[in-house]
Amino acid sequence: MGNTMKCEVAQEIIALAVYGELPDEQGPQLERHLTECELCRRELEAVQALSKAMSLLPVEDPSANLVARSRLRLEEALDAIPHGSWLLRSWQRFARGVWRLRSAPVAVSGVLVIGLTAGGYSGYRAGEHAHDASRTTLGPVATQSDDPLTDVASVSSIVQEPNTENVEVVYNRLQPETIRGSLDDPQIRQLLLVGARNRINSGVRDDSLGLLAHECRAGHQCDDGPIRDALMVALRYDKSVDVRLKALEGLQPYVADDVRVRDAVLEALMRDTDPRVRTQSIGLLEPVQADSSVREVLHTVAIRDDNAEIRTASRQVLDQIPQVQ
Amino acid sequence: MATDPSARASETDLIREAQQGSRTAFDTLVRQYDQAVLRLALHLTGSEQDAEDIHQEAFLKAYRYLGNFRFECSFYTWIYRIVTNLCLDLLRRRKSRREDQAVMLDSSGEEIDLLTNVSDQRASANPDRELNRKFLGERIREALDKLTPRERMVFELKHYQGLKLRTIGEMLNTTEETAKNTLFRATRKLRANLAELR
Repeated sequence: MGNTMKCEVAQEIIALAVYGELPDEQGPQLERHLTECELCRRELEAVQALSKAMSLLPVEDPSANLVARSRLRLEEALDAIPHGSWLLRSWQRFARGVWRLRSAPVAVSGVLVIGLTAGGYSGYRAGEHAHDASRTTLGPVATQSDDPLTDVASVSSIVQEPNTENVEVVYNRLQPETIRGSLDDPQIRQLLLVGARNRINSGVRDDSLGLLAHECRAGHQCDDGPIRDALMVALRYDKSVDVRLKALEGLQPYVADDVRVRDAVLEALMRDTDPRVRTQSIGLLEPVQADSSVREVLHTVAIRDDNAEIRTASRQVLDQIPQVQ
Repeated sequence: MATDPSARASETDLIREAQQGSRTAFDTLVRQYDQAVLRLALHLTGSEQDAEDIHQEAFLKAYRYLGNFRFECSFYTWIYRIVTNLCLDLLRRRKSRREDQAVMLDSSGEEIDLLTNVSDQRASANPDRELNRKFLGERIREALDKLTPRERMVFELKHYQGLKLRTIGEMLNTTEETAKNTLFRATRKLRANLAELR
């Protein structure tokens, strides 16, 4: 085995060389071989050409909206799990058959069916319902003290006893709690974030987002975190104009420093159906008007927006920018 | 990615805290990797929806199985193992769906999606260049679609994400040698596929 590298070997390792995986000691030998071998030189060019061609499908950064909504969706799913380790422990007990529910056999089989579909996300949800099932006293439902059916969150199952008029219902209860504290309190913030996602009560959603936006605007503790994400998602998806406007206000301090926020505002300028949102977006973009992607969008808006005032406003901002050649 | 000793040490603490039930610690861990995960899933699948789904499943799995992580490899590798497995599953499902049907289910609408998003946001002034890019992008995706899921995965991780073959091997639960051979097969196939487009 001399110092000269053979073609077979060279052909194999050329791809490694192009991808920076060639062991150092093979470098000089390959180089020498290439100076002498036309075939292998062409192979090298071919692999390099492939690499260039494949790079014509560049890796894009995920858009601000994609990141924000992915994070929010994950947060929601994790919030649905009451206590991580508790769930795991009770799940393990259940799996080992140790867990005895103080309930009628019918309800047990109902829960078992849910239990057997465990795996991934559905497992968490099932676990949650199973836990709540253990809280309901079944059998002859002695009217529990003077406790009327309050705070019912949802019903998990309804089973009719065969040949009777009796029905067994497994339901889950909410425990309302109150907390008082300052807006700087992390617990309060956590709750505001949950409030911001309230799909049913728009008043709560509105208030939560308003307070969070206010915090961001004041510069309190809003660095790249769930609050900023919640505002970006609200800006993009919320049906209420007021909420979107508040979200914009909250995001204002970050347009200059955070590319994701800037992109979210650009999207609002191009896509939002309400002219007030679009107008306010223009205002927010003034500190970064020199940015090329901002300029391009302003250009498009100046020509294509339905609203004459907005077209004018965009043009005005563009005119302020010194022409860079 | 935590590579220097002090950063790694603090990541270790974070992981331990998360393993003991701290949700905040887990959230912090997630944030260190979630954009990279989305980037990978987005480029591999070409679909924002699929990328979001993979992100969701991956981190939920991480949360659920965090107790099993015994520091035998880096957390980065561990997370990516989960992600790449999910990606492989998706690629396999897509492939088998396509084989079942005469028509390509993966509509070109979805494949162009990635590039349309980009061009919309950047309000490009040059329509021809855009069209060219879309066309080429499609062609490249078609060539990639012809690889096996594993070949595609290895190529994605090597060429697009710039990972070392050794790391790729760890992530795919195989050896560096196998990863290397898979890469060779992938490049050979791609050259053949792209050549017939000229």
